[in-house]
Amino acid sequence: MALTIISLIKQVPLPSEMRMGEDGLMDRTKAKSIINIDCSFGLEAGLQLKKQYPDARLIVCSMGPKSFENSLRTAVSMGYDEAYLLSDRKLGGSDTYATGLAISTMLKHLGFTKDSKEPFIILAGRQTSDGDTAHVPSQVAEKIGIPQATFVESVKADGAGNVIAKRIIEGGYQILKLPIPCVISLTPTGIPPRKPSLSGAIKARNLQITTFGIDDIGLGTEKIGINGSPTIVVKVVNIVSERPPIVMSEGHNEAALVDSLIVNLKKGGNVLEKKEKVDKKEIEYPDFPDKDFRNGARGILTWAELTNGKISRPSLELLTPARNLANQLGNDTKVMTLIIGKNVKPFAQTLIEHGSDEVIIVENEKLEEYLVMPFSSVIAQVIKERNPEIALFAATTSGRELAPRIGMKTDSGVTADCTGLEIGEYIDKKEKVIYKPILESRRPTYGESKLATILGFVCPQISTARAGTFEVPVVVEGRKGIVSYFNPVLEDKDFVVEIVKTERGEGGLQNLFSADIIITGGRGTTGDNLALIKSLAAELKKQGVNAEWASSRPVVDEGVAEYARQVGQTGKTIRPKIYVAVGVSGAIQHIAGMKESEKIIAIDHNPKAHIFNYADFGIVGEYTDIVPELIERVKAGFKFGIEAKKN
Amino acid sequence: MNGNDTVSTDVLIIGGGPSGLATAIRLADILKQTGRNNRILLIEKGREIGSHILSGAVIKPLVFKELLPDVNLSEIPFNSEVTKDTTILLGEKGFIALPFHVPYMSNKGNYVASLGQVCRYLAIKAQEKGVEIYTGFAIDEILYKDGKVIGAKTKDTGIDHHGQKLENFQPGTRIEARITVFAEGTRGSLTKMLIAKFNLNKDRNEQVYSLGCKELWVVPPGNIKPGEIYHTMGYPLDNDEFGGGFIYGLNDNKVAVGLVVGLDYQDPSFDVHDAFQIWKASSFVSKILKGGKMVEYGAKTLPEGGYYAIPKLYTDNAIIVGDSAGLVAMPALKGVHLAVRSGMLAAQTAADALSRNDTSEKSLQQYETLVNNSSIYKEMYVVRNFRQGFAKGLIAGGLLFGTQLITGGAGFFGRLRSHADYQTTLKLSELKKKPFKERFKGKLEFDKVLTFDKSTDVYHSGVYHDEDQVVHLHIKDMEKFNAVNIEEYGAPEQFFCSSEVYELHVDKAGHKEIRIHAENCMHCKTCDIKSPGDNITWVVPNGGNGPDFQNM
Ligand SMILES: Cc1cc2nc3c(=O)[nH]c(=O)nc-3n(C[C@H](O)[C@H](O)[C@H](O)COP(=O)(O)OP(=O)(O)OC[C@H]3O[C@@H](n4cnc5c(N)ncnc54)[C@H](O)[C@@H]3O)c2cc1C
Repeated sequence: MALTIISLIKQVPLPSEMRMGEDGLMDRTKAKSIINIDCSFGLEAGLQLKKQYPDARLIVCSMGPKSFENSLRTAVSMGYDEAYLLSDRKLGGSDTYATGLAISTMLKHLGFTKDSKEPFIILAGRQTSDGDTAHVPSQVAEKIGIPQATFVESVKADGAGNVIAKRIIEGGYQILKLPIPCVISLTPTGIPPRKPSLSGAIKARNLQITTFGIDDIGLGTEKIGINGSPTIVVKVVNIVSERPPIVMSEGHNEAALVDSLIVNLKKGGNVLEKKEKVDKKEIEYPDFPDKDFRNGARGILTWAELTNGKISRPSLELLTPARNLANQLGNDTKVMTLIIGKNVKPFAQTLIEHGSDEVIIVENEKLEEYLVMPFSSVIAQVIKERNPEIALFAATTSGRELAPRIGMKTDSGVTADCTGLEIGEYIDKKEKVIYKPILESRRPTYGESKLATILGFVCPQISTARAGTFEVPVVVEGRKGIVSYFNPVLEDKDFVVEIVKTERGEGGLQNLFSADIIITGGRGTTGDNLALIKSLAAELKKQGVNAEWASSRPVVDEGVAEYARQVGQTGKTIRPKIYVAVGVSGAIQHIAGMKESEKIIAIDHNPKAHIFNYADFGIVGEYTDIVPELIERVKAGFKFGIEAKKN
Repeated sequence: MNGNDTVSTDVLIIGGGPSGLATAIRLADILKQTGRNNRILLIEKGREIGSHILSGAVIKPLVFKELLPDVNLSEIPFNSEVTKDTTILLGEKGFIALPFHVPYMSNKGNYVASLGQVCRYLAIKAQEKGVEIYTGFAIDEILYKDGKVIGAKTKDTGIDHHGQKLENFQPGTRIEARITVFAEGTRGSLTKMLIAKFNLNKDRNEQVYSLGCKELWVVPPGNIKPGEIYHTMGYPLDNDEFGGGFIYGLNDNKVAVGLVVGLDYQDPSFDVHDAFQIWKASSFVSKILKGGKMVEYGAKTLPEGGYYAIPKLYTDNAIIVGDSAGLVAMPALKGVHLAVRSGMLAAQTAADALSRNDTSEKSLQQYETLVNNSSIYKEMYVVRNFRQGFAKGLIAGGLLFGTQLITGGAGFFGRLRSHADYQTTLKLSELKKKPFKERFKGKLEFDKVLTFDKSTDVYHSGVYHDEDQVVHLHIKDMEKFNAVNIEEYGAPEQFFCSSEVYELHVDKAGHKEIRIHAENCMHCKTCDIKSPGDNITWVVPNGGNGPDFQNM
């Protein structure tokens, strides 16, 4: 039977960072929308697989209003064969749980079930730019009951009925071998989407798009739409960008340009004009009765992730909000931490000293290495037994795929990548009750431009917390707690994915986190294999400055730099004092990874390079002119205003 | 690859400007009237119809009545009827409003418009009539069989800087067509190949061009009224520089301003964009722009060689229309109505040829006959020596123009010869007058309120080019470029380019090299026209790349 490749895509408003034209007079992109970037990488992955399976049938599916047909047609003009749209008013307001449910129901209706005779691969984008959750692929995989690999950069078939996926993990990557059928979600770091062909566009224009309503696929209304979704967004506020307009260097050659930069750095750049904050309006507080919706669920469960034989830092950070929530809930609410692996008992005391009241240990040979299927099954079993009201995961590449897969098993919604977690309440004007206590999860969304508050109404309320946001709790030596064991049921079907290889360059990654100056070479600097970039960093080191070099994604792709030095990978945000981007165009991922740096200097030959919109200082020029000049200056003592290390 | 990558059509139209769209509309109408069902495919390289359209524009509306007989003129998005039309002799601080109109420059009954908007409207009409329009696809190759045109091919994409296929390579589509209509506008990149291959400009004058830089502004109410138009002569151009400015009042307090300069100027450091900025700073123009805000910038060339520079307009299976054919009426710089007219005549020819089942050169000769019997001929023939006369300077040109009118266009010489624009640039050492920068010393600091440097202007064009592609501006002979264009001419490319594509980089050691920032390219084609030694070829970049004009 021929293979079917199914791509799931979403149409999104053009992300703000891709917009041009700064005034209301001519917003060139008003109401323009595009295929979500990650999804378009998924589309390309399908077209790449087609090279290996020339008779594969390529189908593209989406859920949304009729206007999404545009994106479906674009997919066909790129090379897809068929298009399906699930479009129903009743789906409006669906959260990720409901979306995952609806899409998997459509796929099952189309005959793609875990027992289907016809082999198929489902491709999706890692996450969408308007939602940023990365949940749906996991939820679809769980609902259909098939294996998954998320955060995947490239896929290949091995010719023996398996898919080989390169999955991005913190500081490295993993090669996974998955049986077919499976779900793969793609990061926007692999092969960029191809352009449409004219023949494809002609085909797309004449194509009949099959559109389903929920009745057509036998989906009821209980669990979808605004009312059926387990989570709701209660508040969205704008996050004001903190970076003032850029100061560009002026001068007619590299010497003058660098002089100008040095002067500008001294002057200190532009200052952000802070807009007056408007006072919050007092909300009316109605006299409704409280409602405890927890149905007896109590306690907070966290999962302690192990990387390189240690508890990962984000899992320790997680204990800060966990402890805080437990205190807010009062009534002796317990923080329970689950740790899974082989010989993990020795970690129990560390967790307790960081704030866990109980450590639940699951030890099994087979669970030595993290895999989403068995781990989600084990955690769901623990949840069933312990019935916690809240379950928290670090928003690592593992946490972000585990949480939605577990949520699908427990019918909970999940809030992704939170930067704030508090106990609050929800006034339900319709029901005339106040839900209390309830977990308020706050998360940045729309490319970090807004902060949304999200509530879940099914226990456990599941959230993932962004790495680096919360402090690691202060260790209380000798703190006492309970250590208990849990014996899960393990099923063979959960062990069908094989880890072929894990590559983690922890070293480089850590150095980037602690450096004062990071010099990053982008695609524009590969002419000399980053030699100039490296020597600028080396020269700074010689001067006693804590400097490191890094690179952008395409440079790593070309094999010029190792992955650990890539800025702009999932879940990694660096915050040096000075960030120097050379020949970096400024892809969205890259910006997200570096925009919290204190001062950003951008050097690029293209005055319109996107990076300049995010920098404090800029030089337009060829790196082969500017960087040697900078090296000269560093040799002469220029240190970008950074103090040398004293030793 | 597979057969999917070839499509066939009866008529392929390359370019979605007024000429291509008029061809499409007229052809669809004739086919319908005669009960035929032929396929018409129109391909446009801009992201959308209008993305690459830039014109003044004051448009003569009559031909639109013929093109769309069922449509009330008021339905066409012309912006406003011309209400006041003044010619200004401009100085830096003062001006004189001429009490009369230069002959052939009267605009009574004409409309000011954004040609891009008009084209978007025409595209909707064309599609309603069954024309298939695909935008965002660049055609970069003419297909031949047995030495005859049999269609064209869209550009391959997914190619790196060096021309190597990337993993996301997408092959172009072959479009096989019984008739191919070249409607690429000014200096068409395929038309150029077609003309060369079939020697279609044998015994014709060299085509010559002007470059127009234009900005669209929003100004405070009262600065100018819709339909109020001005043409300026003089400042900041010298006697030997041909051209002038335009100021067209539009609805919603918008105003289109531009400066158009003949590319036969001599000063290698002349910069049309900068001259345009200086022009705006004159007291007359700055008063109109005062308190306003620039919202869009663009630039484009237009052919001005006139009657004697029109190439042979057809060959086997192929027809040339509009600006690609050089159909612009001087001195009023009006090409839209001629583009539409030529499209309609091409449509008639194509329809007849298809029904005869004979698309040979002989059959398509009908097009030339139709053109020669049309208003195109009438408008262009009387002024046939206009531009060549001006090559001798404004005063002499004016005199010649006067005599031409008396002698019915023949002037003193019968037929004046012209040189290609790239030949007229002088070497630095040959230039007698002050170079541009000295001439306008002190006026080249742009305040970013009234006047703008190129980068700021370019930003306001919405221009975008994919990184992954071969640079679409080819220097034919780099050695010669370094030795001649840079050393002897001082790299005029850096000045004539309307959008800062060419940068002359001089390092600390004094070594000079040209750097090409193809991503800024406005598709104006000046470099293909004006580079000394004819040393640059403009090829079409990826489809959907280039500016994204909204209301130009
Ligand atoms: C500054 C300026 C002011 C002007 N003012 C006036 C005026 O006031 N009144 C007037 O009547 N005329 C004016 N004109 C002239 C008028 O704009 C042109 O004569 C007219 O636009 C020509 O129409 P066209 O269809 O031949 O070409 P265009 O309008 O140039 O259209 C050609 C189209 O073909 C597309 N194309 C080109 N090559 C390819 C390819 N290889 N593949 C796919 N697509 C391609 C282009 O993107 C473009 O959209 C002015 C011109 C300029 C530059």
